[in-house]
Amino acid sequence: MAISRSALAKAGFFDLEQSAKNLAELVEHGKASTDSLISELSKAAEPDQVVSGLLMLGRVSEENLKGALTPDYLPEVVKIFGASAGLIEFFCRHPELLKKHASKPAKLLSFSEYCKQLRSTVAGSKGAEAGQLLRKSYREQFAKIASFDLSEQPTIDSLSKVTSALSDLAAAAIEVALEIAKTKISAASASRAKVLDDLAFAVIGMGKLGAGELNYLSDVDLIFVAANSEGQLEGEYFVVAEALAKEVIKILDSPGKEPGLWKVDTALRPEGKSGALVRSVDSHRAYYERWAESWEFQALLKARPIAGDFSLGEKYIEALSPMLWSVSQRDTFVADVQAMRSRVTSNIPSNEVDRQLKLGPGGLRDIEFTIQLLQLVHGRRDESIRAKDTLGGISALTSAGYIGREDAAVFAQDYLVLRLLEHGLQLQNLRRVQVLPTSDRELRHLARVVRLATTSEELLEKWQQTKISVRHLHTRLFYAPLLNASSNIDDSQLELSTEEATARLAAIGFADPNNALTHINALTQGVSRRAAIHRHLLPVLLQWFAEGNNPDLGLLTYRRLSEELGENNWWLRMLRDSHLAAKRLATLVTSSKFITDLLLSIPESAAWLGDDNELTPRSHEALDAEVVATSERYPNSAELATALRTLRRREVLRLAIGFLLQLIDVVQLGDGISAVHASILNGFVSALRRENPLAFTVIAMGRFGGSELGFSSDLDVIYVYDQEDLDEALATERAKTIVSQLGQLTSDPILPLELDSDLRPEGKQGAPVRSLDSYREYYSRWGESWESQALLRARPVAGDEKLATKFVELINVYRYPKQPKPASVKEIRAVKARVESERLPQGADPNRHLKLGRGSLSDVEWLVQLLQFMFSNEHPKLQTTSTLKALSVATEAGLIDSKEANILRRSWRLASSIRSALMLANGRPSDILPIDRNQLEALARILGYPAGSASKLEEFYLATTRKARQVFENNFYALK
Amino acid sequence: MDKQSDFVLRSIEDKGIKFVRLWFTDVLGTLKSISIAPAEVEKAFAEGIGIDGSSIQGFTRAFEADVLARPDASTFQELPWSSGTAATARMFCDIYNPDGQPTYSDPRQVLKRSLQKAADAGFTFFAHPEIEFYLLKSIDPDNLQPVDNAGYFDHVPGGTAHDFRRKAVQMLEDLGIPVEFSHHEIGPGQNEIDLRSADALTMADSIMTFRSVVKEVAIAEGVRATFMPKPFQNYPGSGMHTHLSLFEGEKNAFYEAGAQYQLSKVARGFIAGVLRHASEIALVTNQFSNSYKRLWGGDEAPSFVTWGHNNRSALVRIPIYKPGKSQAARIEYRAMDSATNPYLAFALILSAGLKGIAENLELPDEATHDVWNLTDVERKAFGYESLPHSLADAIKLAEGSELVAEVLGEQAFEYVLSNKREEWQQYRRQITRYELDRHLGN
Repeated sequence: MAISRSALAKAGFFDLEQSAKNLAELVEHGKASTDSLISELSKAAEPDQVVSGLLMLGRVSEENLKGALTPDYLPEVVKIFGASAGLIEFFCRHPELLKKHASKPAKLLSFSEYCKQLRSTVAGSKGAEAGQLLRKSYREQFAKIASFDLSEQPTIDSLSKVTSALSDLAAAAIEVALEIAKTKISAASASRAKVLDDLAFAVIGMGKLGAGELNYLSDVDLIFVAANSEGQLEGEYFVVAEALAKEVIKILDSPGKEPGLWKVDTALRPEGKSGALVRSVDSHRAYYERWAESWEFQALLKARPIAGDFSLGEKYIEALSPMLWSVSQRDTFVADVQAMRSRVTSNIPSNEVDRQLKLGPGGLRDIEFTIQLLQLVHGRRDESIRAKDTLGGISALTSAGYIGREDAAVFAQDYLVLRLLEHGLQLQNLRRVQVLPTSDRELRHLARVVRLATTSEELLEKWQQTKISVRHLHTRLFYAPLLNASSNIDDSQLELSTEEATARLAAIGFADPNNALTHINALTQGVSRRAAIHRHLLPVLLQWFAEGNNPDLGLLTYRRLSEELGENNWWLRMLRDSHLAAKRLATLVTSSKFITDLLLSIPESAAWLGDDNELTPRSHEALDAEVVATSERYPNSAELATALRTLRRREVLRLAIGFLLQLIDVVQLGDGISAVHASILNGFVSALRRENPLAFTVIAMGRFGGSELGFSSDLDVIYVYDQEDLDEALATERAKTIVSQLGQLTSDPILPLELDSDLRPEGKQGAPVRSLDSYREYYSRWGESWESQALLRARPVAGDEKLATKFVELINVYRYPKQPKPASVKEIRAVKARVESERLPQGADPNRHLKLGRGSLSDVEWLVQLLQFMFSNEHPKLQTTSTLKALSVATEAGLIDSKEANILRRSWRLASSIRSALMLANGRPSDILPIDRNQLEALARILGYPAGSASKLEEFYLATTRKARQVFENNFYALK
Repeated sequence: MDKQSDFVLRSIEDKGIKFVRLWFTDVLGTLKSISIAPAEVEKAFAEGIGIDGSSIQGFTRAFEADVLARPDASTFQELPWSSGTAATARMFCDIYNPDGQPTYSDPRQVLKRSLQKAADAGFTFFAHPEIEFYLLKSIDPDNLQPVDNAGYFDHVPGGTAHDFRRKAVQMLEDLGIPVEFSHHEIGPGQNEIDLRSADALTMADSIMTFRSVVKEVAIAEGVRATFMPKPFQNYPGSGMHTHLSLFEGEKNAFYEAGAQYQLSKVARGFIAGVLRHASEIALVTNQFSNSYKRLWGGDEAPSFVTWGHNNRSALVRIPIYKPGKSQAARIEYRAMDSATNPYLAFALILSAGLKGIAENLELPDEATHDVWNLTDVERKAFGYESLPHSLADAIKLAEGSELVAEVLGEQAFEYVLSNKREEWQQYRRQITRYELDRHLGN
């Protein structure tokens, strides 16, 4: 009779066609009816696997297959075979054991009972033979633990039982392996036997084994300690102890008919892989006293004597554990913790990051890290929380009041879910796996083994929820309790002492934890709604502040902003509802003094953080329209000045935030800042011309003309007027009034602004403002080539448009000459050379000067301007004030090699970005790439480099500008 | 490192060391030393000793910044010329920034970076130099007198040189620097001592130590030693021919049985890379204006960018292969002189070679002639280019070299260049005896 495939589907088979064939074959062996067999198989996690496993067994031993198919044994076989392909292989290697396994109920034993079991199997044999038997016996017991596990409802309690049994079994295997090894060594040499008699040898379990929370299959971390009766380990004693350790490892993990159990990892020993395999207690102590790093102490948290001489093992623990508990006092602890934390989240291959159970955000390591960090920070004073295992740690921390009960319960539950998934995966192939499979079939298998879900989709869903919960809880557990320190807001909440809270804050990088605590208290004290929301928000924010460059500044600014904004609904709502906004706020306030100062002067601007539209530069039209509307509202120029000052601060802040958050690049920044200034100048000039009627215009020069401004305060401008039908003296008088008033109106103590007209004819000696005729006269008679060059950047930005047009016509003759004279070109080159040697500040390193240095801004700009001066008549598209645009045109026109142009562009953008970033970081302008490592680090972070990139940024800048300088030299003096 | 530092601390006690010198090297290869008390050593291991960062910049100092010198415990040695109340040991240091990052421009770090790159490609780099130097009766420039008048491999009975070499070799061995052999060189008073092959970092440290030892022993013997590339117009200069090989694990990557001269593809690529960049890196391998007097002095120094099998006129010589000695397969780079900074020079030669391997560069034709005896036109016909003629040439070539900039790192690159530009400017101002003799009569 053909087997119905729908019946198989109903019974939970996956590969219906293949399994139907297999099943038919199987039925022939057994006496049971197909239906009863299918009904039993439907209980398996993966019925297909049971069927193919049974067939495999049949090929090894027909008799045992028959036995397995009898009703007495079948349920157990289905359970084990359905969950573990690895155990199927084991029973196929030893078919005689299957009956033995299935005939007794699965029971968990103690360490000494396991020892007894293993010993009795090994008894009478020795050497490699004994090792084989030991491993076989281990797997027999292992199968029993698996069977127990698969029969229980998965709970925290059952998980503890299983992991502790696995640890005891592993320890027993090590103990018996040690006995075998001793026998072998004694038998081989009488002198060694004598040494062995006087040698105490202990095995310390580290990691999960030490903590008694071993999983089904992972590396087992061990440390070996030994000493003779005088506590020494020298000469022959060391040789024998080392041989013993090596033999133990060999017995546990050597290939053979019965394969090795697990990889023994001894890398946690002092000096890691290059250190001695066995040391005395004193030698361990000496190492930890002098050399050990914080993470090595962290590893000690889990150390436990598990085999060999337990009294020696205890001596090891006694010697080292005091040091473990003072590790949080080390100077480097903060940095070490951050490094440990980043180890949790980094170094995961990108194709695995979404499937990693152990590493990565929300993984097992995240839970363990959180618990261990809390233990390290608080365990120094409080011995009650020094539990070795994670579940024990959670419960001890809860009892002692360091974490809340509800959080702890959720955390433990999450841990359970992740561990179950891990166990299910490992049990299947008896391999060390931490990555969830991708195939539907494997996921489904896993879901049914761990009984958390029935389909792969449900399983993934469950796992995602758990990951999110874990990430959230790290913050809740570590940061939330800080809020309640010494503030009696709510008796039901747990409470940290001030000392405990400062210890935590210091551990995460607050330089002044006492002050930080004051801020936290000020924010969260009281019964107001505001305080309640801060209590909710701060845990997350504190974590982000701690990850930033300057956590202390971040928290202080946050407090001041919150005080400014008071009970404003939107502020708290935004922070509460927008993860993005809160995260951005944390980035800004921990990295930029410039932004912090402006934010505090316009607190309402914080509202932009939740809205990308608000952080994109406003269009030129919108800015102009707002200025015009403002001017109409405030006919009085003093009032107008106040209004436009606010507008300027606001728009500069918007651009600064956009730049720091990398929403806009340095070119957009330059355009945006230049546009803001053009608009407000236009507003002021219009108002002043109403009071002093005159054809008057402002011409932007330099970077302002090129729309390339950064955050520094200087605006290069020149002023032009035309007397038209006015009396000459009156026109001059009015022009001077406008210029001097313009200077006064635009000044701003908070965000300084300086109108610099030094580029005017005759520089500082010249008249501050000239008429169009006077410019014409001057340029025709006196104008020098460098002035023509400066005019390349001239761009009218405010005032009378007709006059502006006339002025532009006038200067075009000079800046875009039809036939540039060789003498003029030579003069420009000479001036450049002089500027290089003279303008650089005394003692400044030219390689680090962002503006006048080697290959930085001015090299690029002078080269571009020389190209414009020489060729813009021939290539009219070169007639632009923008450096980068002119450079593109010159490349298209073949005036400069495109590779070289790229080098120049990169250098110009980098130097410009660094100047802006320096202003953002320090709140004051600087033209020098800093030497100080902390400043470089802050700078690198603003520019989007990962933490620890100070040298990288420096090296990149120096290389980029060096290459740019080569391009400059190849071209500037060679252009023809 | 931990076991090593324990060993150091114990040894200081056991041997009654009274002073510990911390050695490091500036970009010019000048040995720098600070002396600390034994009590400070532990702190030096843990935190480093603060020093002025400009001390590694050579004589033109760009800026001053504090850096930390951290001793490398594996280099601990008692200095054999000290004893008793003045028992002194030394360790080489790595230089770190206060933030714990290695200082990019520290020559030792430069070499370590290059070695790391080699390691990333699966290679370890071995070197053994033949170091030549002169023994003089004094170092008074107006009275240069070699200690003897012997020649190549001459035995000088009861001579200073013989005694000297015996003592120097003994002292080197005491310092853990194995010597392959030593002999009298061609010039009067000129000696050569060959060190046994070691990994390049150890070797660079050893060369620095070697120079100190040789000078110390000379002084003790009442004479002076000089590593100046070319002290005598009429006698050969002091070169540092260096044998180089790459290993992949235990296997010599330069060796391939049956290939021409047993040269593997890796070796051919390496040589091609070294030849291509030889002129750019000359500023470091031959760093003084005086170095070019050796290169163009007409003796056995290589002046042209060539390679050849056992050809002593070639820049890269392939020594004769001894059957059964595949581990000893190597190439010999003959340009370097005894005054080079070994850290930077090894880093550059290695990187040039690795580049040749990575880019699969073709090895040009072998030079089978004595290149010195060819006419200029013949050399042109064969395509043999010359090494830089002067320090000025070398500066120019190095300035344009991305390889040199990348390997040294931007800052060390800049320090080297500015030092060399300054040297050239000073040198160019000199009025020499030659000019006075020739032109005074005008």
